[in-house]
Amino acid sequence: MIQIENLHKTYHSGFLMKPKLALKDVSFHVDAGQVYGFIGPNGAGKSTTIKVLTGLLNFDSGKVLVNGVSPRDVKSRTFLGYSPEQPYFYDYLTGRELLKFYGRLVGLDGAELDSRIGWALELLHANKDWIDRRLRSYSKGMMQRVGIAQAILGRPKLLILDEPMSGLDPMGRRDVREAIQELNRDGVTIFYSSHLLSDVESISHRVAMIVDGKIVREGTIDEITESCGVEYHVRTRQAILAADLPEGVTPAGHPQECVCADDAARDRLLGFCLQNGIAVEKMDHKRPSLEDILTEEIARAES
Amino acid sequence: MQSLKHIAIIAQNTFRESIRDKILYNIVFLAIALTLFSIVLGEWSVFDRSYVIKSTTLSVMSLSGLLISIFVGISLVQKEIQRRTVLTLLSKPISRAAFIIGKYFGLLAVVAVHLMILTVLFYLMLLVTGAEPTASLLTAIYLIFCEMAVVIAVALLFSSFSSTILSALFTLGVYFAGHLSDQLLEQVKFASRMGELNDSSSILLEKTAVVIHAVFPGLYRFNVTTYVVHNVALPDMYLLWNSLYALGYVGVFLAIASWWFSRRDFL
Repeated sequence: MIQIENLHKTYHSGFLMKPKLALKDVSFHVDAGQVYGFIGPNGAGKSTTIKVLTGLLNFDSGKVLVNGVSPRDVKSRTFLGYSPEQPYFYDYLTGRELLKFYGRLVGLDGAELDSRIGWALELLHANKDWIDRRLRSYSKGMMQRVGIAQAILGRPKLLILDEPMSGLDPMGRRDVREAIQELNRDGVTIFYSSHLLSDVESISHRVAMIVDGKIVREGTIDEITESCGVEYHVRTRQAILAADLPEGVTPAGHPQECVCADDAARDRLLGFCLQNGIAVEKMDHKRPSLEDILTEEIARAES
Repeated sequence: MQSLKHIAIIAQNTFRESIRDKILYNIVFLAIALTLFSIVLGEWSVFDRSYVIKSTTLSVMSLSGLLISIFVGISLVQKEIQRRTVLTLLSKPISRAAFIIGKYFGLLAVVAVHLMILTVLFYLMLLVTGAEPTASLLTAIYLIFCEMAVVIAVALLFSSFSSTILSALFTLGVYFAGHLSDQLLEQVKFASRMGELNDSSSILLEKTAVVIHAVFPGLYRFNVTTYVVHNVALPDMYLLWNSLYALGYVGVFLAIASWWFSRRDFL
């Protein structure tokens, strides 16, 4: 559905048009039917990548295909829905008028348009009286819901959402999360960026992590977290002296607990316990969270 | 076909946006006030009252059309970019050319309605004051509309790549150059015939006048106030040729604006 290979994008700013490389050799694929999370710190290149995909930004080099078509081609947007970060709309219109305007632009009209607007508003729990008020009176959360509603009006095959949960309260976040999952169950591929890593972990099939314009991790949540190593926390019936612990195993603060840095260390500890008749009471494996990995990658990029 | 539909939808929205703009109302009310004031001017003037009312009102139509093109037209595109509404709009399956052309027709419709209001007022005034409300005045109004069609295209062209203030200055520059290029060329040719232009700087001046006359749209062609006020017949096919002339410039300006706009990055 999305194919990005060796994408480079440079911004030129200031009077002297000073260049700044915003995307450096970005490559990843999004298959049809996936919920794909795109994470990274502020200014890492998430919105730039999204704007390249939606044809709003040109790029220096690389290959970008959306549904098999270059985003420079209008056809690439036929089956695309997009909601920008902090969506801004014509504030002299009401929410419903705005949806009618965008609906007509994607080829809807008459009763079909009305029913599609009703469906989108229901999905986002936005079918309330405020939808007939002028947009200038909307809160950030209401704007976000209208933004997503306009993106899904045309029943897109690919939905691109830039920070869809920003500005939403917990209920709003839940509504948007559920809407994403429901749309995905209906076969819509969803590519979205977010700062809320817990939400990303809970709904994404795959994730790409971008730091300083480069993709630093890509894969399923399991693949990404496994690639950073898994720690094993082992609790034994009796205490083991620190000096006796095998290589790669360290005490965990409690005399009966220790931490194995990897699978090999875990095996060495289990072998030691068997040899010495020490019973293992409990063993947990702990993976780093996306947040841990992202923090680590940011620190690495800064260093 | 789909593009035409997109253009119509954007034009409709542009029209709706423009008629909610307070600046537009200020310009329209100012134009109405000046049009009514022409009756007083007619009384005060040493010229024929009918002449003063007609020439003043036609000038007000042209100038107020220019002000609408500048203050409403230029901000239309800039507002879309600054308020980032353009992001959502251009992510729909519409071409950037359709966006520019849609904006153009929306604003053209606003100017058309403005001219219609002033025309109705104009004819009412002529009837009330007993001045001669000839049909040929409509010819002058139609040509003002053609002139505005060119000026709006110029305004959109500049607003597709420069800031609001620069676009306004450039558009004003083209408006005045377009009105004065004929006189400039005439003066330079006259001076040349008199043998006053012999040195190299004078030749450069003559060539500059020729280039300005050739490149800038000759907006002076659309000013036929003197003809219609004095009931002098216009040459045959004048309307047709000047309509085509306006159409040609509009086409070129919109094509350049669309091309430039399609190269733009939207952050």
